[in-house]
Amino acid sequence: MVHALEKLHALLKPAGELIDIHPTTEPASIGVRLRAREFGAGWINEIDDYVEYQWADEALDRAVASGWFALEKRATFEFVWHAASLAELRAYLAEEWRDAVIDDLTAMRIEDALKSPERDKELIVREKIGVARYRRSDSRSV
Amino acid sequence: MRPVKADPEDTETTALHRLADFTGKRVLEIGCGDGRLTWRYADRAAFVVAIDPDADDIDLARKECPPALRGRVEFHVTRLEDFVPPPAPFDLALLSWSL
Repeated sequence: MVHALEKLHALLKPAGELIDIHPTTEPASIGVRLRAREFGAGWINEIDDYVEYQWADEALDRAVASGWFALEKRATFEFVWHAASLAELRAYLAEEWRDAVIDDLTAMRIEDALKSPERDKELIVREKIGVARYRRSDSRSV
Repeated sequence: MRPVKADPEDTETTALHRLADFTGKRVLEIGCGDGRLTWRYADRAAFVVAIDPDADDIDLARKECPPALRGRVEFHVTRLEDFVPPPAPFDLALLSWSL
Protein backbone atom coordinates (compact mmCIF):
# COMPACT_ATOMS: atom_id res chain seq x y z
CA MET A 1 0.00 0.00 0.00
CA VAL A 2 2.83 2.39 0.84
CA HIS A 3 4.45 1.57 -2.53
CA ALA A 4 1.13 2.32 -4.26
CA LEU A 5 1.02 5.74 -2.62
CA GLU A 6 4.62 6.41 -3.58
CA LYS A 7 3.77 5.57 -7.20
CA LEU A 8 0.71 7.83 -7.09
CA HIS A 9 2.87 10.65 -5.79
CA ALA A 10 5.04 10.27 -8.88
CA LEU A 11 2.05 10.12 -11.26
CA LEU A 12 0.49 13.35 -10.00
CA LYS A 13 1.36 16.89 -10.97
CA PRO A 14 2.89 19.05 -8.23
CA ALA A 15 -0.01 19.94 -5.87
CA GLY A 16 -2.17 17.30 -7.56
CA GLU A 17 -5.05 15.83 -5.57
CA LEU A 18 -5.55 12.34 -4.21
CA ILE A 19 -9.10 11.30 -3.35
CA ASP A 20 -9.51 8.15 -1.31
CA ILE A 21 -12.81 6.36 -0.78
CA HIS A 22 -12.97 3.20 1.26
CA PRO A 23 -15.17 1.64 3.94
CA THR A 24 -14.36 2.30 7.57
CA THR A 25 -13.52 -0.55 9.93
CA GLU A 26 -17.05 -0.40 11.34
CA PRO A 27 -19.07 -3.47 10.23
CA ALA A 28 -22.07 -2.77 8.01
CA SER A 29 -25.41 -3.08 9.76
CA ILE A 30 -28.37 -5.06 8.43
CA GLY A 31 -31.89 -3.91 9.24
CA VAL A 32 -35.33 -5.08 8.24
CA ARG A 33 -37.81 -2.39 7.27
CA LEU A 34 -41.48 -3.15 7.70
CA ARG A 35 -43.35 -0.19 6.24
CA ALA A 36 -42.00 2.82 8.22
CA ARG A 37 -40.34 0.84 11.03
CA GLU A 38 -36.80 -0.52 10.83
CA PHE A 39 -35.45 -3.27 13.10
CA GLY A 40 -31.76 -3.94 13.60
CA ALA A 41 -30.99 -7.57 12.73
CA GLY A 42 -27.20 -7.66 13.02
CA TRP A 43 -24.09 -6.96 11.03
CA ILE A 44 -22.16 -8.07 8.01
CA ASN A 45 -18.79 -9.33 9.11
CA GLU A 46 -15.78 -9.91 6.92
CA ILE A 47 -13.57 -12.97 7.00
CA ASP A 48 -10.58 -10.75 7.78
CA ASP A 49 -12.50 -8.45 10.17
CA TYR A 50 -12.15 -5.39 7.92
CA VAL A 51 -8.41 -5.37 8.62
CA GLU A 52 -7.51 -4.21 5.10
CA TYR A 53 -9.29 -0.91 5.74
CA GLN A 54 -7.23 -0.40 8.86
CA TRP A 55 -4.09 -1.08 6.81
CA ALA A 56 -5.24 1.44 4.20
CA ASP A 57 -5.71 4.11 6.88
CA GLU A 58 -2.29 3.33 8.34
CA ALA A 59 -0.64 3.54 4.90
CA LEU A 60 -2.24 6.93 4.24
CA ASP A 61 -1.18 8.17 7.67
CA ARG A 62 2.38 7.08 6.91
CA ALA A 63 2.31 8.84 3.52
CA VAL A 64 1.24 12.05 5.27
CA ALA A 65 3.86 11.65 8.01
CA SER A 66 6.51 11.09 5.31
CA GLY A 67 5.56 14.33 3.58
CA TRP A 68 4.28 12.74 0.33
CA PHE A 69 0.75 14.07 0.83
CA ALA A 70 -1.04 16.59 3.04
CA LEU A 71 -4.50 15.77 4.33
CA GLU A 72 -6.96 18.55 3.43
CA LYS A 73 -10.40 17.19 4.23
CA ARG A 74 -11.96 14.04 5.62
CA ALA A 75 -15.61 13.00 5.91
CA THR A 76 -17.84 9.94 6.14
CA PHE A 77 -21.10 9.02 4.48
CA GLU A 78 -23.51 6.12 4.63
CA PHE A 79 -23.68 3.77 1.64
CA VAL A 80 -27.00 1.91 1.62
CA TRP A 81 -28.10 -1.28 -0.13
CA HIS A 82 -31.73 -2.35 -0.42
CA ALA A 83 -32.67 -6.02 -0.93
CA ALA A 84 -36.02 -7.81 -1.02
CA SER A 85 -34.88 -11.01 0.69
CA LEU A 86 -31.99 -12.67 2.45
CA ALA A 87 -31.43 -14.97 -0.55
CA GLU A 88 -31.20 -11.96 -2.83
CA LEU A 89 -28.76 -10.21 -0.51
CA ARG A 90 -26.62 -13.35 -0.19
CA ALA A 91 -26.51 -13.78 -3.97
CA TYR A 92 -25.42 -10.16 -4.35
CA LEU A 93 -22.73 -10.44 -1.68
CA ALA A 94 -21.39 -13.64 -3.25
CA GLU A 95 -20.84 -11.69 -6.45
CA GLU A 96 -19.79 -8.26 -5.18
CA TRP A 97 -18.49 -8.66 -1.61
CA ARG A 98 -16.95 -12.09 -1.49
CA ASP A 99 -15.52 -12.02 2.03
CA ALA A 100 -18.78 -10.85 3.61
CA VAL A 101 -20.32 -13.12 6.23
CA ILE A 102 -23.85 -13.06 7.64
CA ASP A 103 -23.85 -15.13 10.82
CA ASP A 104 -26.63 -17.62 11.64
CA LEU A 105 -28.21 -15.51 14.40
CA THR A 106 -28.47 -12.47 12.13
CA ALA A 107 -29.89 -14.63 9.33
CA MET A 108 -32.50 -16.07 11.72
CA ARG A 109 -33.54 -12.59 12.88
CA ILE A 110 -33.90 -11.46 9.28
CA GLU A 111 -35.98 -14.47 8.26
CA ASP A 112 -38.21 -14.08 11.34
CA ALA A 113 -38.81 -10.39 10.63
CA LEU A 114 -39.54 -11.05 6.96
CA LYS A 115 -42.25 -13.56 7.91
CA SER A 116 -44.41 -10.56 8.74
CA PRO A 117 -47.52 -10.36 6.53
CA GLU A 118 -46.60 -6.73 5.84
CA ARG A 119 -46.11 -6.39 2.07
CA ASP A 120 -43.97 -3.23 2.18
CA LYS A 121 -40.76 -4.73 3.56
CA GLU A 122 -37.09 -4.99 2.65
CA LEU A 123 -33.58 -5.47 3.98
CA ILE A 124 -31.41 -2.42 4.39
CA VAL A 125 -27.61 -2.67 4.66
CA ARG A 126 -25.81 0.45 5.85
CA GLU A 127 -22.06 0.79 5.56
CA LYS A 128 -20.03 3.73 6.81
CA ILE A 129 -17.61 4.94 4.14
CA GLY A 130 -14.67 7.26 4.67
CA VAL A 131 -13.69 9.78 2.03
CA ALA A 132 -10.66 12.04 2.14
CA ARG A 133 -8.84 14.55 -0.01
CA TYR A 134 -5.05 14.77 0.05
CA ARG A 135 -2.75 17.16 -1.79
CA ARG A 136 0.57 16.06 -3.24
CA SER A 137 3.34 17.53 -1.19
CA ASP A 138 7.02 17.77 -1.94
CA SER A 139 8.29 18.03 1.60
CA ARG A 140 9.28 14.35 1.73
CA SER A 141 11.52 13.33 4.55
CA VAL A 142 14.70 11.70 3.31
CA MET B 1 -36.37 -11.31 -8.25
CA ARG B 2 -35.66 -7.59 -7.92
CA PRO B 3 -31.96 -6.70 -8.10
CA VAL B 4 -30.24 -5.32 -4.99
CA LYS B 5 -30.21 -1.54 -5.20
CA ALA B 6 -26.85 -0.03 -4.28
CA ASP B 7 -26.90 3.56 -3.07
CA PRO B 8 -30.12 4.65 -4.81
CA GLU B 9 -29.92 7.83 -2.72
CA ASP B 10 -26.62 8.63 -4.52
CA THR B 11 -24.86 9.65 -1.30
CA GLU B 12 -21.53 8.49 -2.73
CA THR B 13 -21.75 10.90 -5.66
CA THR B 14 -22.73 13.73 -3.34
CA ALA B 15 -19.80 13.01 -1.00
CA LEU B 16 -17.38 12.72 -3.92
CA HIS B 17 -18.37 16.04 -5.51
CA ARG B 18 -18.27 17.81 -2.14
CA LEU B 19 -14.66 16.80 -1.86
CA ALA B 20 -13.33 17.17 -5.39
CA ASP B 21 -13.90 19.27 -8.48
CA PHE B 22 -13.24 17.11 -11.52
CA THR B 23 -13.90 19.89 -14.03
CA GLY B 24 -11.30 19.91 -16.81
CA LYS B 25 -8.95 17.60 -14.95
CA ARG B 26 -6.84 14.64 -16.02
CA VAL B 27 -7.97 11.87 -13.70
CA LEU B 28 -6.49 8.49 -12.84
CA GLU B 29 -8.98 6.15 -11.16
CA ILE B 30 -7.53 3.10 -9.42
CA GLY B 31 -9.88 0.16 -8.82
CA CYS B 32 -12.60 1.34 -11.19
CA GLY B 33 -14.27 -2.09 -11.42
CA ASP B 34 -17.14 -1.97 -13.91
CA GLY B 35 -17.10 1.85 -13.98
CA ARG B 36 -19.83 2.31 -11.37
CA LEU B 37 -18.10 5.36 -9.88
CA THR B 38 -16.44 6.49 -13.13
CA TRP B 39 -19.78 7.43 -14.70
CA ARG B 40 -20.50 9.73 -11.75
CA TYR B 41 -17.71 12.23 -12.52
CA ALA B 42 -16.23 11.49 -15.97
CA ASP B 43 -18.55 13.89 -17.79
CA ARG B 44 -16.82 16.78 -16.01
CA ALA B 45 -13.22 15.60 -16.47
CA ALA B 46 -11.01 16.41 -19.45
CA PHE B 47 -9.57 12.90 -19.61
CA VAL B 48 -9.87 9.77 -17.46
CA VAL B 49 -7.67 6.71 -17.26
CA ALA B 50 -9.43 4.05 -15.19
CA ILE B 51 -7.62 0.87 -14.19
CA ASP B 52 -8.58 -2.39 -12.54
CA PRO B 53 -6.98 -5.86 -12.52
CA ASP B 54 -10.33 -7.61 -13.17
CA ALA B 55 -10.62 -8.16 -16.95
CA ASP B 56 -14.35 -9.03 -16.77
CA ASP B 57 -15.14 -5.78 -14.96
CA ILE B 58 -13.11 -3.73 -17.44
CA ASP B 59 -14.84 -5.48 -20.33
CA LEU B 60 -18.20 -4.50 -18.85
CA ALA B 61 -17.04 -0.92 -18.26
CA ARG B 62 -15.92 -0.60 -21.89
CA LYS B 63 -19.26 -1.95 -23.12
CA GLU B 64 -21.27 0.38 -20.89
CA CYS B 65 -19.22 3.50 -21.60
CA PRO B 66 -21.69 6.18 -22.74
CA PRO B 67 -21.04 7.38 -26.31
CA ALA B 68 -20.44 10.93 -25.08
CA LEU B 69 -17.50 9.73 -22.98
CA ARG B 70 -15.77 7.60 -25.59
CA GLY B 71 -12.45 9.12 -26.49
CA ARG B 72 -12.25 10.83 -23.09
CA VAL B 73 -12.27 7.71 -20.89
CA GLU B 74 -9.78 4.86 -21.24
CA PHE B 75 -10.03 1.58 -19.34
CA HIS B 76 -7.01 -0.65 -18.74
CA VAL B 77 -6.69 -4.10 -17.18
CA THR B 78 -3.76 -3.62 -14.85
CA ARG B 79 -2.73 -3.29 -11.25
CA LEU B 80 -1.31 0.05 -10.17
CA GLU B 81 2.11 -1.52 -9.65
CA ASP B 82 2.24 -2.56 -13.32
CA PHE B 83 0.52 0.50 -14.79
CA VAL B 84 2.50 2.25 -17.52
CA PRO B 85 1.31 5.86 -17.38
CA PRO B 86 0.95 8.27 -20.28
CA PRO B 87 3.68 10.94 -20.47
CA ALA B 88 1.57 13.76 -19.00
CA PRO B 89 0.99 13.63 -15.24
CA PHE B 90 -2.47 13.57 -13.67
CA ASP B 91 -4.25 16.40 -11.85
CA LEU B 92 -6.20 14.01 -9.64
CA ALA B 93 -5.96 10.37 -8.58
CA LEU B 94 -9.00 8.56 -7.22
CA LEU B 95 -8.60 5.48 -5.06
CA SER B 96 -11.96 3.87 -5.60
CA TRP B 97 -12.50 1.45 -2.66
CA SER B 98 -9.14 0.06 -3.68
CA LEU B 99 -6.25 0.88 -1.34
